[in-house]
Amino acid sequence: MVGMAFVSQIRQINCDTIAAFMCAGKIPPNMESEQGMEPLTPLWGKRSTLRLPFIVMADLIRSRNLLRLLVKRDLSARYRRAYLGYAWAVLEPLLLAIVYTFIFTILVGSSDPLYPVKIIIGVIGWSLFARSLTTSTKSLSSSSNLFQFARVPKTVFATSGALTNAVLAFISLSSILPFYFISDLPITWNILLLPFWLMLLSFTGWSIGLLLAPIACKVPDVLNLINFLVRAGFFLSPVMWTYDMFANRFGDGWHAVVAHLNPTVIPITGMRDAVLGTSSAIPNYGYMMCFGIAIIGYIWGSIIFERNAHRAVVNL
Amino acid sequence: MTVVMRLDEITLEYPVPRQYRNEDIKPSGVRNISLDIRQGEVLGIIGRNGSGKSTLLKMMAGVFPPDSGTISARGSVSLLAGVGVGFHKELTGRENAYLYGALMGRNKEQIDALIEEIQDFAELEHHFDRPIRTYSSGMKSRLGISVATSFKPDILLIDEVLGVGDAAFKEKSKAKVRELIDASGSVVIVSHSYSMLSQICDRILVLEQGETIVLDEAATSIKIYQRLIKS
Repeated sequence: MVGMAFVSQIRQINCDTIAAFMCAGKIPPNMESEQGMEPLTPLWGKRSTLRLPFIVMADLIRSRNLLRLLVKRDLSARYRRAYLGYAWAVLEPLLLAIVYTFIFTILVGSSDPLYPVKIIIGVIGWSLFARSLTTSTKSLSSSSNLFQFARVPKTVFATSGALTNAVLAFISLSSILPFYFISDLPITWNILLLPFWLMLLSFTGWSIGLLLAPIACKVPDVLNLINFLVRAGFFLSPVMWTYDMFANRFGDGWHAVVAHLNPTVIPITGMRDAVLGTSSAIPNYGYMMCFGIAIIGYIWGSIIFERNAHRAVVNL
Repeated sequence: MTVVMRLDEITLEYPVPRQYRNEDIKPSGVRNISLDIRQGEVLGIIGRNGSGKSTLLKMMAGVFPPDSGTISARGSVSLLAGVGVGFHKELTGRENAYLYGALMGRNKEQIDALIEEIQDFAELEHHFDRPIRTYSSGMKSRLGISVATSFKPDILLIDEVLGVGDAAFKEKSKAKVRELIDASGSVVIVSHSYSMLSQICDRILVLEQGETIVLDEAATSIKIYQRLIKS
């Protein structure tokens, strides 16, 4: 829901102005001018590398109508044949949380009453990241029948996949509502950080997906690798464990630095803090690494994608 | 005469499988094609299977970048490629029309204004609100032609789909293409049907192994092509 609102909010600003501004200078000089007609423009004009991250954003803003339709289509297709429909988006994390709580209580003997809430948030955060990463990595091959007949920015398909998963994640979040009554969770302004961290998870997964998508067209092994990383990442990310558990065990030696390379650690911890009203002792370099990976990932991903995706799809 | 699209020495080659690399095999694709598409003309493309017709259309549509050479165009281009390409099976005809319009860069209001015309022309009646997976192939291509022509692109590229449907619908599609040309659009048609090409094309390009054999008036080109396939 919030994802949709996000999309339509972008719509309200004068998008075309922004798009035109971002692309200023992109259109090459007239090849042939005729009175009252737009000039012949090369379809594949030269674009400077440093401008590509802005061009990708401008393309997405300009294609907002298409994005909205694709997200709507993905959402309705996902649970169309299920009797419970969108309830599955809420049930999934809830059921997983029950299972993990059960296992964890037996294994560790933990008696943290808030543990189920932490798990639900961990599951939602991690699966948003993993799904955004997977769908955008696969986007070129899975949507090839949609860009084979019209000139559309190919980033749109990766983006619609990530946005769809973001919307589902927001729906899934309602599974923590019961705990506001059961466990008397505090209601604070920090809750407003929840959407921010969720969008960051989706954004980072999407950026890395953009980076991998052109290679995935040529080397399908990338998809196997991603599948492995998603499974392993489930245990390497704070889904079943929490930031505090990790910090208590390893302190802040090199283990901690390596752990912060995982771009989901800080956002998931941030989400937990936002809901539980706690504040984990995250060092400053942790935040910097998390935002750094997201920004560098986007810049790098958008450049690699725009440079290679168009030629890569020829061999699909 | 105004040129709406110019291809300048464009080349795109597909990779040759590894086990054939040592042999002297010409990679498939298109090589050194140069041509101008004029405003309001119908350009036909004819050639054997694998001669590069569809590849050329995809490059004209801006989907595939050429390995070398430049393509420049003005206005919007849309490609009608095969039956059901670009349609989502689970969505209804109406939803697909909206999706197609959005892929063509139209907004909701622009599509709203055309949706009735699309439904009428495709003659789908109540099927228009049923999922595409329930459509026959004739129904799918009627929807495709209807949608692609209704958005009135400046350049419409058609890949072997005009010859579908029953006789009455064929006539109707041809009339629709004419209408588009009268509205100063240009059309490029790939087809194997001599009769159709000679009826509606101004010029015809003959392709053989990715290279231009001839680009001339319809009757001349067809004659050359017929001699080519007999040899």
